[in-house]
Amino acid sequence: MSDMIMTAGLCKQYGKTLRVKDVDLAVPEGSVYGFLGPNGAGKSTTMKMILGLVRPTGGSITVCGQKLCSRNRLSILKQVGSLIESPSYYGHLTGMENLRIVSTLKGVPQKEIARVLRLVRLDRQGGKKVSQYSLGMKQRLGLACALLGHPKLLILDEPTNGLDPAGIQEMRELIRSLPKQYGMTVMVSSHMLSEIDQMATSVGVIRKGELVFQGGMAALHEKSSHHIAVRTFDNEAAFHVLTEQGVACEIQQNVLLLPALRDERLAGCLKSLFEKGIDIVRVEDRRKSLEDIFLELTGTAVSL
Amino acid sequence: MRQALAVEFRKIRRRKVWLIVAALIFVQLLWSLWAFRNMDARKLAQGWMHCLYQFPLLNSIMMPVIAAVVASRLCDIEHKGRAFKLLETIMLAGRLFHAKFLCGACYMLAAAFLQVEVMVVFGTVKGFQGSPPWDKLLCYLLFTTVVNLAILLFQQTLSLLFQNQMVSLTAGLIGTLAGLYLMFFPRTVERLLLWGYYGVLMLVGMDWDRETRITNYYYMPVNWAGFIVLLVMSCILYVAGRALFVRKEM
Repeated sequence: MSDMIMTAGLCKQYGKTLRVKDVDLAVPEGSVYGFLGPNGAGKSTTMKMILGLVRPTGGSITVCGQKLCSRNRLSILKQVGSLIESPSYYGHLTGMENLRIVSTLKGVPQKEIARVLRLVRLDRQGGKKVSQYSLGMKQRLGLACALLGHPKLLILDEPTNGLDPAGIQEMRELIRSLPKQYGMTVMVSSHMLSEIDQMATSVGVIRKGELVFQGGMAALHEKSSHHIAVRTFDNEAAFHVLTEQGVACEIQQNVLLLPALRDERLAGCLKSLFEKGIDIVRVEDRRKSLEDIFLELTGTAVSL
Repeated sequence: MRQALAVEFRKIRRRKVWLIVAALIFVQLLWSLWAFRNMDARKLAQGWMHCLYQFPLLNSIMMPVIAAVVASRLCDIEHKGRAFKLLETIMLAGRLFHAKFLCGACYMLAAAFLQVEVMVVFGTVKGFQGSPPWDKLLCYLLFTTVVNLAILLFQQTLSLLFQNQMVSLTAGLIGTLAGLYLMFFPRTVERLLLWGYYGVLMLVGMDWDRETRITNYYYMPVNWAGFIVLLVMSCILYVAGRALFVRKEM
């Protein structure tokens, strides 16, 4: 599978601050790529650079197999739909009129408007002025604008901002369905791990402008390693007993951490500790959650 | 470009930008009715010149304000709806700048045209001596339009660059007052500011006799040098304004 977006050493400097540092993104074709990071990590800046709205200080960007430069930017972006930070709209015009403006500029047939309005479930409010829309409706109108013209790639920056729980669920379902139904690739940013976990197939985690993890969601889940914590009255002695039995364990915060052993093997280990006269006071199953991994990767508290 | 221009007109639907132009023409008509209320034979003989003297003076106060408001109305919709982020992914920033300028220019051109029409109709109804001086009126139309467009360019650039429209409107008002003030200075000083060009390119001069308290108007030679300077200034404004907007990161 080829990559729809590839960046190499992408950097952006504002004044003396490097906001995006050597980011090497690889967004696989047909995937929902979750771009995860805390607020101010550089997600929007990176996405804006991919769209050519912000000039990179260094590095290169390849979109749909073509290297992005000022000359070919618009021809490449014809295959891309975007919604950055907040929806763009003209409040004094109706939803339909807004879409007509975008479709004319994109060179898309007007009949497309009804389709995208249906897709984002705004078909009944198309004749209403956008200034009277709720934030969620404006967000859906923004998505409708992005969907005009069957783009191959969608770049959505925090598309669930301002939506109520039902709206978030609806948006998530829609984003998840796009690769299957229309063969689109979606790059979606969020600072909410749970959201990305529920809709992305690949993920990139950015922290203070640096990409600290990139891979499939499965790879991220694999990091959520399973351990068994054993607490005894003499951890040092227990450590030696278990090491002699070939169990790779370690002492962390007054607890012996054992790998995820099979029940029979674990029972054998505990029995040998009893036989050596080491009293066991606690045995716990420990699993590192995705939140813990996010915390480890980003060094910040996770938003749930 | 026709498509981009058509889109600009679609964007300002229900914004009633034409109202500003209509209000200007209405105020100028009221002014003319007041200024030309008691006309004797001598005044009627100089009626056309009087018009060509009064209107540029009025323009130096009103047109910059109109240009500032028109530019602001056209650009404010993009800031309010955060539309630049979307537009710049589907069209070139330079094209957007050009389309906005052409759209604003249509309104400024309409304002100048209507003014000339008001002058002709008013002069004919009032019975100004002789037929309308078409050559002078044409020059007036050309000069007024070019000064209007130069000021519109300046205002549009500010309106596009600054989200807060008070910046461009304040700059416009300061320019207007400075232009008016410069009319009391020699022509060379008047040429320094865009807003002074309504005065620089005036086609009619005035002599006021302190003793007899009689005003005489006379045609002056067309100031082509001033016009060329203005054209050069307009080109610089266009290139600089467009470049600043294109370079701006969203």
